[in-house]
Amino acid sequence: MITPNPITRRSALASLGGGLGSLGMISALGNNGGILTKPHFAPRAKRVIHLFMNGGPFGPDFFDPKPALTKYAGQRPEGADLRTERPTGGLMEVPYQFSHHGKSGLPVSELLPMTAKHADNLCILKSCYTDNPNHGPALLLMNNGTMTPRVPSMGAWTSYGLGNESQDLPGYVVLCPGKPVRFSILWNNAFLPAKHAGLYINHSNLDPKSMIPWLRDPDENPGGQRKRLDLLQLLNQHHSKVRGGNDLQLEGRIEAMETAYRMQSSAHDAFDLNQENAKTREAYGEGHFANGCLLARRMAERGVRFTQVYYGNGQPWDTHSGHDKKTRALAKDIDQPIAALLEDLKQRGMLEDTLVVWGGEFGRTPVSENADGRDHNPHGFCMWMAGGGVKGGYAHGASDEFGFKAVDKPMHVHDIHATILHLLGVDHERLTFEHAGRDYRLTDVHGNVATDILA
Amino acid sequence: MKTGHFIATTILAVGLFAPVMADDHWAYQPIQNPAPPASGAGNPIDAFVLAKLEESNFEPSPEAPPHILLRRVHLDLTGLPPTQEEMTAFQKAWKTDPQSAWAEKVDALLASPHYGEQWAKHWLDIARYAESDGYLGDTLRHWAWIYRDWVINSINSDQPFDQFSIEQLAGDLLPNASQSQKIATGFHRNNLKNTEAGLDKELARTKQVVDRAATTGNAWLGLTMACAECHDHKHDAISHEEFFQFYAFFNNTKDSDITVKLDKEWPITTIEKKKDEKEPSKPTPKAQALSILPEKEWRKTHVHIRGDYTRHGEEVTPGVPAAMHPITIKEGEPARLALAKWLFADDNPLTPRVTVNQIWQKLFGTGIVATPDDFGTHGARPTHPLLLDWLATKFRDSGWSRKKLIREIVMSSTYRQSSTNTYPDRPNDLLWRQNSVRVNAETVRDIHLVASGLFTPTVGGPSVHPPLPSFVSDVGRSVKWPESTGPNRYRRGMYIFLKRTVLYPMLTAFDAPDTSSSCSRREVTNTPMQALTLLNDPVFFECAEALGKELHEKHGDNADAAITDTFQRCLNRKPAPGELATLSSAHYDLLDESKNPELAMIATTRIIMNLNEFITRD
Repeated sequence: MITPNPITRRSALASLGGGLGSLGMISALGNNGGILTKPHFAPRAKRVIHLFMNGGPFGPDFFDPKPALTKYAGQRPEGADLRTERPTGGLMEVPYQFSHHGKSGLPVSELLPMTAKHADNLCILKSCYTDNPNHGPALLLMNNGTMTPRVPSMGAWTSYGLGNESQDLPGYVVLCPGKPVRFSILWNNAFLPAKHAGLYINHSNLDPKSMIPWLRDPDENPGGQRKRLDLLQLLNQHHSKVRGGNDLQLEGRIEAMETAYRMQSSAHDAFDLNQENAKTREAYGEGHFANGCLLARRMAERGVRFTQVYYGNGQPWDTHSGHDKKTRALAKDIDQPIAALLEDLKQRGMLEDTLVVWGGEFGRTPVSENADGRDHNPHGFCMWMAGGGVKGGYAHGASDEFGFKAVDKPMHVHDIHATILHLLGVDHERLTFEHAGRDYRLTDVHGNVATDILA
Repeated sequence: MKTGHFIATTILAVGLFAPVMADDHWAYQPIQNPAPPASGAGNPIDAFVLAKLEESNFEPSPEAPPHILLRRVHLDLTGLPPTQEEMTAFQKAWKTDPQSAWAEKVDALLASPHYGEQWAKHWLDIARYAESDGYLGDTLRHWAWIYRDWVINSINSDQPFDQFSIEQLAGDLLPNASQSQKIATGFHRNNLKNTEAGLDKELARTKQVVDRAATTGNAWLGLTMACAECHDHKHDAISHEEFFQFYAFFNNTKDSDITVKLDKEWPITTIEKKKDEKEPSKPTPKAQALSILPEKEWRKTHVHIRGDYTRHGEEVTPGVPAAMHPITIKEGEPARLALAKWLFADDNPLTPRVTVNQIWQKLFGTGIVATPDDFGTHGARPTHPLLLDWLATKFRDSGWSRKKLIREIVMSSTYRQSSTNTYPDRPNDLLWRQNSVRVNAETVRDIHLVASGLFTPTVGGPSVHPPLPSFVSDVGRSVKWPESTGPNRYRRGMYIFLKRTVLYPMLTAFDAPDTSSSCSRREVTNTPMQALTLLNDPVFFECAEALGKELHEKHGDNADAAITDTFQRCLNRKPAPGELATLSSAHYDLLDESKNPELAMIATTRIIMNLNEFITRD
């Protein structure tokens, strides 16, 4: 015979000194779990989709025509002898035709015929620059705001500041069909609470079960999983309190457990591209990048604050040799999905508050390497933004006549970060976290908002 | 708000375009033999740590309670939690004489065969050990485990670290090399290997040699040498040419499998049956080893211009970077053997520091140098440089005994401090407390198995194939995964067959490395994927089921006793009254719903097994 335990659930909870009320903490933190109770300014964008061309594309192939490269092909005139990672030769011509597109007449090369149709939405940043010609440091600077590892990523800062509008998914999702160089450090939370880390999804296999394993409880008699979880979290918190209540790892695990619980009911749907109709699938086309773009839209739709789509495993845009041939193939891979994403967001009325950002960790050299390749170029490169409060059909700044160095309105990576945060309604100087005796922020002590590009 | 502290990145940025010639870089300086600072601390490690704490006006933390200490040292030394019996015995001994109880426990754990497993796993990460080639074909390496077992045995017998290293680097070149010394060279065979049809064979070979040179540089010197394959190292003193001098040590080798006699007949389940055979033929064990080419086939080594092997630069001969201590290659001495010995020369400051740091890291969660894989100018600087040197000296003078070094460290009060984070704003670089760390991927599995009673403690032998989730096995080209049955399903995580393209998902979720390159520090992430794995992975469910059933049977209707027992089996401590009351009322609710006491107990066990504390080493 079973002896019923006389202690009621409520009194048991009370005996731990907490009670279920303390669990409310998770959802009661600020605005959607963000640290800012309200944004610093009126936000122009609510969320970001970052299309990351890992390896580094060459702007003059796409958006920044440089006829001087044809004129001086094979030569190394003054101004074309900047130091980069490796020895380089003379200037190398860009073999692609440019034409003007949209009302704005922005020049876009023949490599991106479909993206070009959205020229009036694009805000081309022609004068970006970074500090280091190697992948590792440049990847860190672009994603984490400093070249020194172990600081939070841009997505983590965003989630930390603004929280998450999705009830069921983490606020920061990273899609990559494989592993980029440097891997998880590029989306880590470092000293920020662990729930702000990017959720890394390898979408090379589109089965949601493969992207997110173990969504289902193997117990056929789950017996109120929510109830069990409440108890579990209560015990976790109690233990945390006994240990001084300052265990970030434990707090992170509690958050992760909550997200995991909610993902069980929703993630399968969120990541299931089969729920898209044939027309949409066709519009995006095929391939990992197309699937990544479509998944990113599904994330954005569900309120995920920051979604990154890495182009591919390793560093596919790193064209040290055979640059033109490889670039043609890469461009073909991204053109249709990008056009489809922009169109799709427009159709759904989401482009106005979704900021789409395109670019690599640096650019490539106008001078050749290994005869037909291009080296890394930190001195000047192109990115673009679209939607979310930026001027469309607009080109900001300029590079020198070869596309080597940013010369007019140069925009450092810190400036890009400051601007992205600004568009989200955040003052980059005021989103800080005290750690190890100092205040950290995404932009270190730098960063100017490029007010010219604000719509 | 504080300002004015943002300087680091600016300085870095300015320095990066010019390679730094780091003649005065700390890591290349000779090891000092510092005397421990004078202090009340009897233990030299504590004296070094206390001196630093006093400079900052910090107090060390009190000693952790014995049950936490026992769990900590069990997990650190063997990767397994203590059993309840061990806990009871230890606490009893502790009451009489804490110091000798601790010393005896430490010695017992160092003598346990599971010690070798745990520390072998750390080394196998560095050795990028796996059981398949990687790349598209990903051909299986059925006998790779012979090398893995060599590592376990070597560590268990406390083979001196210099011998352990020399045998792996050049065991084949030792006079009258034994079978075991040849097996050790399997270290070099762990690299990825491309065997795709139509591939450029010389390219594939040079990639392997590059990997061997880089792995050696990383494992024993803490250098990011691979950077210099294509160009001069950007910030460390390794030129492009010097990389290929280092490469030359490994260029006149060939992969040769040797037939070995195993000391035990293992049931071989991983060998596939040939088509026409009724029974699989008895396979001959063949260890992967390395050997030297006959002299007439020796290759010349050239610098590969920009890392392209078809573009020969200057011819080079085996040599080491000029910034390091010089190497002497005696007349007639094989160069690779000379290199192995060079690592253990008295004037090499790197190898002892790097190794001591790797070991320290496993006992504190972070190294004295936080970047164990980068002792270069871009790596972290040591938090306790004198302590690092003292340990390095001690390690070398003790005859490179890892057991003695580990013993020295875990006997210290520094190691035994509580990990409670009393001052959340205070970083722990100075070690005013122990770190609380999530156990590594394999241990997440192992503690579930041990707590549930399902655990099979067999040490070594062929790897096993616990059930692979269908979302992995259903994918791609026929994944051959001959599912293990019986006790082999419940072996330690480190024995799960390590196929590079089919990594075991649970291990990957908890940050096990992908084995493509040497890894001396695992990332520690904290993700919803991990939470889902713990909540729903059928293996963990099975563990909860086994434990719930067992304790329900044992305690019958006495739910509180069953819960207390479960709690102790999992967390090595008694539940606090509030914890017991909470679990007890949960159990009551679950019973009320299911009307099945066994199911209620299983569900309660799942709650306990999902507690953060379960997978944390405090």
